[in-house]
Amino acid sequence: MVTTPPNKPIKRPFLAVDGVTFGYGREPLLYDVHLQVQQGEMIGLLGPNGSGKTTLLRLLSGVYRPQQGKILLEGHDLQQWNRQDIARHVAVVPQELHMPFAFTVAQMVSLGRTPFINFFGSPGKHDESIVMDALHAASIEPLAERIFNQLSGGERQRVMIAMALAQEPSLLLLDEPTSHLDIKFQVETLALVQRLNRERGVTVIAAMHDLNLAARYFPRLLLFQRGIVADAPPAEVLEQGVLRRVYGVNVQVGILRGAEHISVLPPGSEVASEVAEDQFREHGPQPVVHVMAGGGTGEMMMRALADAHIAFVAGALNIGDSDHTLALRLADEVITEQPYAPISLPILEEVRKSLATVKLLIICSMPIGPGNLALLQEAVASERHGLRVLLYHDTAIAERDYTGGEGQQLLEALLQAGAQSVASVGEAMDIVKQL
Amino acid sequence: MKIAARNTTIEQPPVKPPLEGLRKVPFPFVLLILSGVVCVVVLVSVSFGSTPIPLGTIGQILLNGTGIFHFARRWDPTAELIIWQVRLPVVIGTALVGAALAVAGVLFQGMLRNPLADPYLIGTSSGAALGAAIAFVLPFDTVYGSFFSLTPLLAFVGAMLTVLLVYSIARSDGHTPVVTLLLAGVVINAVLIALQTLVLTLSPHAQFGLQALFNWLSGGVSVTSWPPIFVVGTIILVGIVFSLTLSSVLDAFALGEEGAAHLGLNVERRKLVIVVVGSLLTAAAVSISGLIGFVGLVTPHAMRLLLGPRHRLLLPSSALGGAIFLMLADLLARVVIAPAVLPVGIFTALVGAPFFLFLLRGSKRDYRW
Repeated sequence: MVTTPPNKPIKRPFLAVDGVTFGYGREPLLYDVHLQVQQGEMIGLLGPNGSGKTTLLRLLSGVYRPQQGKILLEGHDLQQWNRQDIARHVAVVPQELHMPFAFTVAQMVSLGRTPFINFFGSPGKHDESIVMDALHAASIEPLAERIFNQLSGGERQRVMIAMALAQEPSLLLLDEPTSHLDIKFQVETLALVQRLNRERGVTVIAAMHDLNLAARYFPRLLLFQRGIVADAPPAEVLEQGVLRRVYGVNVQVGILRGAEHISVLPPGSEVASEVAEDQFREHGPQPVVHVMAGGGTGEMMMRALADAHIAFVAGALNIGDSDHTLALRLADEVITEQPYAPISLPILEEVRKSLATVKLLIICSMPIGPGNLALLQEAVASERHGLRVLLYHDTAIAERDYTGGEGQQLLEALLQAGAQSVASVGEAMDIVKQL
Repeated sequence: MKIAARNTTIEQPPVKPPLEGLRKVPFPFVLLILSGVVCVVVLVSVSFGSTPIPLGTIGQILLNGTGIFHFARRWDPTAELIIWQVRLPVVIGTALVGAALAVAGVLFQGMLRNPLADPYLIGTSSGAALGAAIAFVLPFDTVYGSFFSLTPLLAFVGAMLTVLLVYSIARSDGHTPVVTLLLAGVVINAVLIALQTLVLTLSPHAQFGLQALFNWLSGGVSVTSWPPIFVVGTIILVGIVFSLTLSSVLDAFALGEEGAAHLGLNVERRKLVIVVVGSLLTAAAVSISGLIGFVGLVTPHAMRLLLGPRHRLLLPSSALGGAIFLMLADLLARVVIAPAVLPVGIFTALVGAPFFLFLLRGSKRDYRW
């Protein structure tokens, strides 16, 4: 759907994220992320709170190291760079900064030279001219002698960008650079970043919350939810269905009269959003298949369904489950539960509704724990009401049952009531196509 | 619409903080002036005491000591002895202690980004005090083969061990979060103070131990010979010179740990280096002076107010400022009710606090954390 990266002449990418998995504890937060960035690109990173945007930026800046996979900057594994080398190539603009001491703006910007000065650390003429240039580029020369902490939010943002610029980075990472600013400073800040990107060829990756500003300033957007859901120009990424599935809220997308760029509007009211949802459901294809999966077991099945253009519902899936990220991309409807949480009653209700409308339920060989036992109970109940059920297993039930036999009993009940057992995706697809 | 837009773009006139002028002075000049003041204060401190010695005489005696000058000896020979063997070691020791505490204060405040940080924060004081308490209750005074008496030695060891303990408690998964470091410091402080009380209570010489410990805790440089000064002075001077190489690191730490990492610093390693250097300085100072409060807390703040936050200037000027401050406080402690000597800690607080408040109020707008 929106997975094809923009066609570019093939050359060594400036930045490549290759199968990166990372989590703060034992539980993975990002799962198998792949990304390629060319020199001079300007990329907006979108995604709900807690989707892992900031974590991805921290991985790119080398503050965290991937648990699996590699990040290649200019063709070299970031793990092999030392911190100073990274700082000479990558600069980071934080969301907000409070200085404990009364640093002046000029002093702050000259901190950007830290990775270049040696042991005894006195900056030379060359460093000074770069600092002056950075002050000039960010148009903050008049503020040079002011105290940083006394500036307004927008001015501070400019100072932080100038400081990053003094690092002479080839890659500039910004973490929600506009989230504390009023509209004027939002526009000014992003215009500054855009100018740096165009005039100096700095590659920019910025985490953004404001979808409209992202559409306005970034030619390439990444929609992120514990993994890359969509990677394309704004018009493709900011698509009603995708946004609804990822953010879990109905929005309207369109081009306002007289504007050049796409706009995303929030739902007007509860009533309006319900209407919009109904309209969407009427306009969109009616899903005929419901897929229950988890832990990567649904991948082949969902890809096959999407390739065959069969509309399907997936869920309930936890945020952070690799099947969830994939479902956001491929499924027409995703029933989403919070990370690592058992399936809650309202979500179960949604599953029940979906099962009442589809013609076929495919249950993949997902691990069965106390959290998703309720899903199987739901399946048993629906089967009694006449729903056709396919059990796709490639793993023995006993090996993936963590409920002490309860899960196994439910699966056996399904089979006894007439559920078909399939051993391959092809077999399942044959049945799906006959619907 | 237009009017509103214009209003917001008007440049606010830059507010000139009252102390702005001083910050413009080139910094070799500032250090030169401070060094000059240090010399004057040394001379004045040496001249005061039970028998006042005129400044001119002191100058001649000291210059004779260099071996280059040969002034005719028109003074009482005991004056020479008093200066070289009694007063000068104390004054030099005081200067070293003041410099060490002030620089340690800069290091800890910079690393912890906390205005209340002082050199004693992460356990040096209670560790040193416990060491001293043990030394007071033990039945012997010196360790065999060492010119150090037992008290400074155990105080130094106690301080260093405590800091290492606090640091290793706060460390987990290769990280040492600043908050954990502070909390571990507070907790270990409490435990060690309890242990110190226990040692004194159970000791058979408790009576004697308490009085000695009280004197020690009140602080004051009490050396009677040069060797301890040489040893402690070497540690302190090396520590201060090494600290100067950390100035750009400390500047970057002001951005927070992640910001510092983005500027290319290996944050965890640098933190350990700062803790070790700061604690060495503090422990060395404490070993000959006991616990002198306020110098390490206030000198860095005062210097920051006068000269700005850049550590390249702040570190050396704090060293000199700390030396001046402590020598003056010590001078007062010796002359106010001479010939009795008051604990120097009284004067660091009584003189330092008003001076600091004066600076603080003079630049209210400028000094925010």
